[in-house]
Amino acid sequence: MAHREIFWNISHEYIMYVLSFIAVVFVAYAIYRHYKMWRMGKGDERSKNMGSRVWAFVKTGFADGLGHRRFLREPYPGIMHLLIFWGCVILLLAAAVDAITHYLVIPLEGSTYLWFSLVVDIAGILVLIGVILAITRRYIQKPERLNTFLDDGVILSLIAIVIITGYMIEGLRLAATEVNTNPDWALWSPVGLVFTKKTLFGGLSHDTILTLHSVLWWFHAVLVNGTIIYVALSYSKLQHIVISPLNAFFRNLGPVGAPAPIDMETAEVLGVGEIKDFTWKQLLDGDACTNCGRCQDVCPAWASGKPLSPRKLTQDIKTQWQKVANPKSNPPESLPPLIGGAIAEDEIWACTTCAACQQACPVFIEHIVKIIDMRRNLTMMQSKMPENIQLMLRNMQTRGHPWVGAQTLRLRGDWTSGLGLNTLAEDSNVDMLLWVGCTAALSDRNVEVTLALVRVLKAAGVSFGILGEDEPCCGDPARRAGYEIQFQTSVEQNIALLQGYNVKNIVATCPHCYNTFKNEYPKFGGSFNVVHHTQLIADLLKQDKIKLTCDLRSLATYHDPCYLGRYNSIYSEPRNILHAIPQLKLKEMERSHSKSFCCGGGGTHMWFEQQIGTKVNDIRTDEALKTNAEIVATACPYCLLMLEEAIQGKDLQQPLKAKDIAELVDQAMEKSA
Amino acid sequence: MHIIVCVKQIPDPEVPPAKFKIDPDTKKVMPPPGLPPVISVFDERAVELACRIKEKNPGTKITAITMGPGKVSDVVKHALAMGADEGIVLQDKAFEDSDSFGNAHILAKAIQKIGSYDLILCGRQAADWDIGQTGSILAETLGIPVVTVAKDIEVAGDKIKVSRVMEDGYEVVEAPLPCVVTVSNEVGLPRLPSGMGIIQAARKQVPAWTAADIGADPAKIGPAAAHSEITSLFIPTRDTTCEVITADTLAEAAVKLALKLRETKVV
Ligand code: SF4
Ligand code: SF4
Repeated sequence: MAHREIFWNISHEYIMYVLSFIAVVFVAYAIYRHYKMWRMGKGDERSKNMGSRVWAFVKTGFADGLGHRRFLREPYPGIMHLLIFWGCVILLLAAAVDAITHYLVIPLEGSTYLWFSLVVDIAGILVLIGVILAITRRYIQKPERLNTFLDDGVILSLIAIVIITGYMIEGLRLAATEVNTNPDWALWSPVGLVFTKKTLFGGLSHDTILTLHSVLWWFHAVLVNGTIIYVALSYSKLQHIVISPLNAFFRNLGPVGAPAPIDMETAEVLGVGEIKDFTWKQLLDGDACTNCGRCQDVCPAWASGKPLSPRKLTQDIKTQWQKVANPKSNPPESLPPLIGGAIAEDEIWACTTCAACQQACPVFIEHIVKIIDMRRNLTMMQSKMPENIQLMLRNMQTRGHPWVGAQTLRLRGDWTSGLGLNTLAEDSNVDMLLWVGCTAALSDRNVEVTLALVRVLKAAGVSFGILGEDEPCCGDPARRAGYEIQFQTSVEQNIALLQGYNVKNIVATCPHCYNTFKNEYPKFGGSFNVVHHTQLIADLLKQDKIKLTCDLRSLATYHDPCYLGRYNSIYSEPRNILHAIPQLKLKEMERSHSKSFCCGGGGTHMWFEQQIGTKVNDIRTDEALKTNAEIVATACPYCLLMLEEAIQGKDLQQPLKAKDIAELVDQAMEKSA
Repeated sequence: MHIIVCVKQIPDPEVPPAKFKIDPDTKKVMPPPGLPPVISVFDERAVELACRIKEKNPGTKITAITMGPGKVSDVVKHALAMGADEGIVLQDKAFEDSDSFGNAHILAKAIQKIGSYDLILCGRQAADWDIGQTGSILAETLGIPVVTVAKDIEVAGDKIKVSRVMEDGYEVVEAPLPCVVTVSNEVGLPRLPSGMGIIQAARKQVPAWTAADIGADPAKIGPAAAHSEITSLFIPTRDTTCEVITADTLAEAAVKLALKLRETKVV
């Protein structure tokens, strides 16, 4: 019956176990060393709730791990990694099967053996194709995002050599055995069979084949164990085989980009000023980064020429961490500071907190909170920040909203004049609170949206109230600027205010307010049912409470606001509304839904501009223009202002207007009323 | 070195005057409801300047002192959060409606109670009434020199060099310590209180002193002692008309605009 002898032609096989044992010792040491280095960080909530973590890991493990969901968003590198991954998994399983059958004396024979041979042969080919794709990409195509180091070449070569020597060993064994005794068995090892051909090893004498086989076998064995030891001892990126799944296991299961609250009573250091101020999970993040550059490719800061690349940021934190962890070779006084040294202040301020990087990262690294943590240190410990951020924060502190100077134009309640709206102070017995938000109450352009929304809500007969001039800021700008102390003050006051009116339901016009209320207030004891106005309108349409009869005869595209899309997965409601408007065609931009590109206004960038490179909103507007749409619809006051500013800045041949979805609904409703 | 900074709480000066109301009977300003009071912008710069001096001269102590009704301790807390070491609030019914002389008397009494001081900083004027006298009268009352509208102070032993803002630049004058310096907005943007500063400020106790505590002379304070009287108070109305100049070409529009400007005597 078809079978093969394990350790055929090999004597002193115990030496292999000695080798493997040495490798295992090195791996154990490496794991211990990494563990100790992660523990340089502070505690993290991630070590709690292990049960739900295991469950989440198992649940998404198939799609994200085995199925490579995140990788395959880009076909070339996705398939490349998938081939290497699955090839190696099968080869490792095959080795395990060999060991099991050998020692438990369960014979692997007959057709099972033949199929096994075939599958293993194919797996090797998958790995080789993957490696060739990787080499082509890294050394010939050289995409901007890949930074190549010696380690990359070393590990690709090692993998290739291990696989090829494996085939050679197989070929030599076949040449000495199956080809002569059972040629039909050998057909099931097609790749190995190549090496039995006359031109390669076929012409050698039987003795030479035996010697060559045993020499190559030992070379292969030493190489495999040597590779393992190399990876364990160096900071090779092949370590990601262990660390990345671990990082995926400890990934964020809560809201996107929400920094941990600071206990102001006990905190001694605010934010992150040096490596040990990070949490162990944040350090693990750096360790798990493979420098693949997917995050950099989608980053608006990078795309617009700012000094920030999330890839570089993660790598720089990692390097600094490795240095701090090895004080012998890097004496502390010779190290640059983390902020202003390893990471430039400009990098920290360049982030719009758009979350594109986190969405793209295949190993679930979280860049945003680290950036905010460093901002916290800058604003709250070092009082260092761009001047306009300082003005914005001062304004929040003294006037309760971020719009510096806006008070000379309007006061909070001005937009309500003549509308006869009900404030909660007059009557709090309403179904929901319309939380307008600072921008939508203070900026002229956004007030138009607010008024449109009010008309829509009134037409639909929604029972709502407002806070009018008593409405404070939700606190989001302060939090993204790292000025947590102001954020927490706002949150406390707002929760008291809302609970005082017994508010249960909130409809927010601003995705930033929406996100803050929905995802960040609960940590401070404020739980409300929050919806964004697009959700409410979509719902009203479904219930037939609004009739859209007036056709707009236009082509629109939709810009997903980051805090609605990536932060809260609201993709379909805005689109459903647009589809419901008669004669309004929707054409998607090249980057939409979770791949949408930021408008440039988030993460406090609404209030300051880094005079470096180009403008994010220009890039996004160009993308909108490519669709030939006449309307770029959105659902966020920042996006609206940013897009409008970019449109005005261009000398356009084609008409393009930025509109909030509420305005389009109002327009489609108007003439029929 | 001990610096005392006098700070005042005022209604937000960025709010347009039209939003205010005037009570014709009491001749008092009524700010729009919900308007948060702020630290007077010049006084905040005085605190900033004090903090900068402290940074350059370790061992310096800053005391912030304020006077007024209601929750004026907020401005002292703000100064503490910025970097002041101690704060004092002066609060008494008898202090209300004093004029600049009355205020200077109260401040002088409080400063005498504090005892030792080297430098007293005030804003060049309060950003609500813009009178700008209290600092000078305070120096007069204490019998020490005063330097006005400073944009920078350099400490040199028992003297200071003060850069005074002039219309076309600045001059540097020297003054012996102790003295009073009034501070101008040219100091630049005051710092944002650091998080640690706010936390520490929140933990500090701010004592409130009454007229009796400081031994203020009742004859010198309150409306009765005022040297001046408000005879009428009104919000200036400002008429704006907007005219859009239209023309076929930009050049033509520019000519029309120029003519219009000359006609209305703007240029
Ligand atoms: S959140 Fe956006 S701007 Fe910030 S690093 Fe990530 S991709 Fe770049
Ligand atoms: S952070 Fe993630 S996406 Fe970015 S380089 Fe590292 S592994 Fe790749």
